[in-house]
Amino acid sequence: MTIVFYVSSAVAIAATVLMLTRVRAVHALLYLIVSLLAVAVIFYVLGAPFVAALELIIYAGAIMVLFVFVVMLLNLGEETVRAERALLAPSMWIGPSVLAAILLAEFIWMLARGGVPPAQAVSIGPVEVGISLFGPYLIGVELTSMLLLGGLVGAYHLGSRKAPHTEVTHATHP
Amino acid sequence: MNVTGSDFTALLPLIILAVTAIVVMVGAAIRRSHALSASLTLIGLAISIGSLWIAAPLLPRQVTPLLMMDHYAVFYIGLIAASSIITVLLAYGYFEKYEGSHDELYILILVATLGSAVLVASSHFVSLFLGLELLSVSLYAMIAYPRRRPLPLEAGIKYLVLAAVSAAFLLFGMALVYGAFGTMEFGEIAARLARPDFNLWLVLPGTALIITGFGFKLALAPFHLWTPDVYEGAPAPVSAYIATVSKGAMFALLLRYFYQTGSHELEPLHLVFSIIAIASMFGGNILALLQNNVKRILAYSSIAHLGYLLVAFQASGDLAPTAVAFYLVAYFVTTFGAFGVVTVLSDGTRDADLIEDYRGLFWRRPAIAAIFTAMLFSLAGIPVTAGFIGKFYVVAAGASAAMWSLVVILVVTSAIGLFYYLRIVVALYSQSTQTPATTSLARPGVVSLIFLSAALIYLGLFPSPLLALIHRLMPGLI
Repeated sequence: MTIVFYVSSAVAIAATVLMLTRVRAVHALLYLIVSLLAVAVIFYVLGAPFVAALELIIYAGAIMVLFVFVVMLLNLGEETVRAERALLAPSMWIGPSVLAAILLAEFIWMLARGGVPPAQAVSIGPVEVGISLFGPYLIGVELTSMLLLGGLVGAYHLGSRKAPHTEVTHATHP
Repeated sequence: MNVTGSDFTALLPLIILAVTAIVVMVGAAIRRSHALSASLTLIGLAISIGSLWIAAPLLPRQVTPLLMMDHYAVFYIGLIAASSIITVLLAYGYFEKYEGSHDELYILILVATLGSAVLVASSHFVSLFLGLELLSVSLYAMIAYPRRRPLPLEAGIKYLVLAAVSAAFLLFGMALVYGAFGTMEFGEIAARLARPDFNLWLVLPGTALIITGFGFKLALAPFHLWTPDVYEGAPAPVSAYIATVSKGAMFALLLRYFYQTGSHELEPLHLVFSIIAIASMFGGNILALLQNNVKRILAYSSIAHLGYLLVAFQASGDLAPTAVAFYLVAYFVTTFGAFGVVTVLSDGTRDADLIEDYRGLFWRRPAIAAIFTAMLFSLAGIPVTAGFIGKFYVVAAGASAAMWSLVVILVVTSAIGLFYYLRIVVALYSQSTQTPATTSLARPGVVSLIFLSAALIYLGLFPSPLLALIHRLMPGLI
């Protein structure tokens, strides 16, 4: 399993470096997704399948989709339209595909060997994560909710489009 | 590991802060009223301070591995909540002149205050990071709050980028320390550090990265580059909040982390802290000489003041936590006073932040000019003010640890600092043709200024009650 760990780490580092050096945001995002996938494999090999799944669902799934949508919805004009046409050129997708293929090969190899004996004897599943979240780290969960509240209020204020003088109107209609 | 009733009581000050934020939010959803939100916030902060006395008999108490509610935490939570009250008073008068809704500001202040309170009570990397993020995320929006003006937005984005980068440094450092010790609790780290069999090549870079993260937040040189721009761009009450609560909470945490774990005893770190202290003292004071903007001068002055605090931090005797606590109180009072003057003099279009705005202020508003003079003297460390006693204690702490070079640099740079404070004072009293001002200033701001000047002189003349309080509370730290 050590070899899987090192290969995934190399893929993660390579993908991150390529991401940082890309000029186009969409292209960089593709590498970022690969980097996150590689980190998920590392978590899996270390015996944390639940965290690996979360990494996939939350980062590579939800947040990346959000990023891609924002980049596409920003609608940056003629320049972007031309860039989008070039998006399907092989030079754009071949790099991330190769890196992703390495990860896939690793994964198939691990499955073929009949699942992963984790590096340590323990494997941390959802139950353990839940117990520690709502046991010793209870206050952490509560503080995170306050953090989200603070971020939400700040984003609402900075992003609100209402003109200042109309902002009090809804108070009169309870 | 269950949370019991006594744990709840011990955490009451923090819980009340969080509840108040939600109450203000619900209040704003029902009825948008600047006065209502501000008063709800003030009531919540006052109750939170009051609840410190309810929590006090149960202390010290470890509430889950994350938070250590001891007298040290209670002292700083009280200081932070009191500072937030001053911020709300200043902000009320300041934002009353701006159109738009201001209820969100008070929610953000409460969340930031909760974050600072978590910071000073944290005994675990997780609560450290969550407290820090609570503080930072609220500050981004607070700095950029007047979102129709370019300067605050620019300052907000600068703070966002730099605070995020510094948080990344901090996280990486914490990961390395965790990698070396396999624990994120300060107490456990201390136990592992005491045994010599740890991997120094994980701990040392980790601690260095943690210092980098702290340094960004404390605006110590060479991590200070964001400070003047952010102070200048942020609304004056928010600048005051960053200069005091954000830095004070961070410094209290720095002291707790390093004193509790003992990692400041690691050999190369002595040198690192000395270099940072010297760079901050020289950099802050010399760069302030070149400024014409009062907010920028105060920014550089705060860099220098954190450098002085680092001298006391390094002394690491019994005197150090006392000196730091007293210096922080004096620094809070003084900085709020100075930014408070800027706040009450600002009109609805721009902040009164150029030295030109203060030329001949004495002939227009003698009382405000006198208060500003007192605050500047205290920043410079002139006797009869709180700043003098604070600096005296820092020098005493440094001298007791025989750190003569640092103490000498502290005295020399303070003398340099005198020059730019006096430059503002000279401008205040220079002859001007303007007639006395007739418009009245925002009352909550003036009330807090009067209170702050009274506190300044009181602490300067009778420091012993506060010192006795600090002596009673601090020994629990180490």
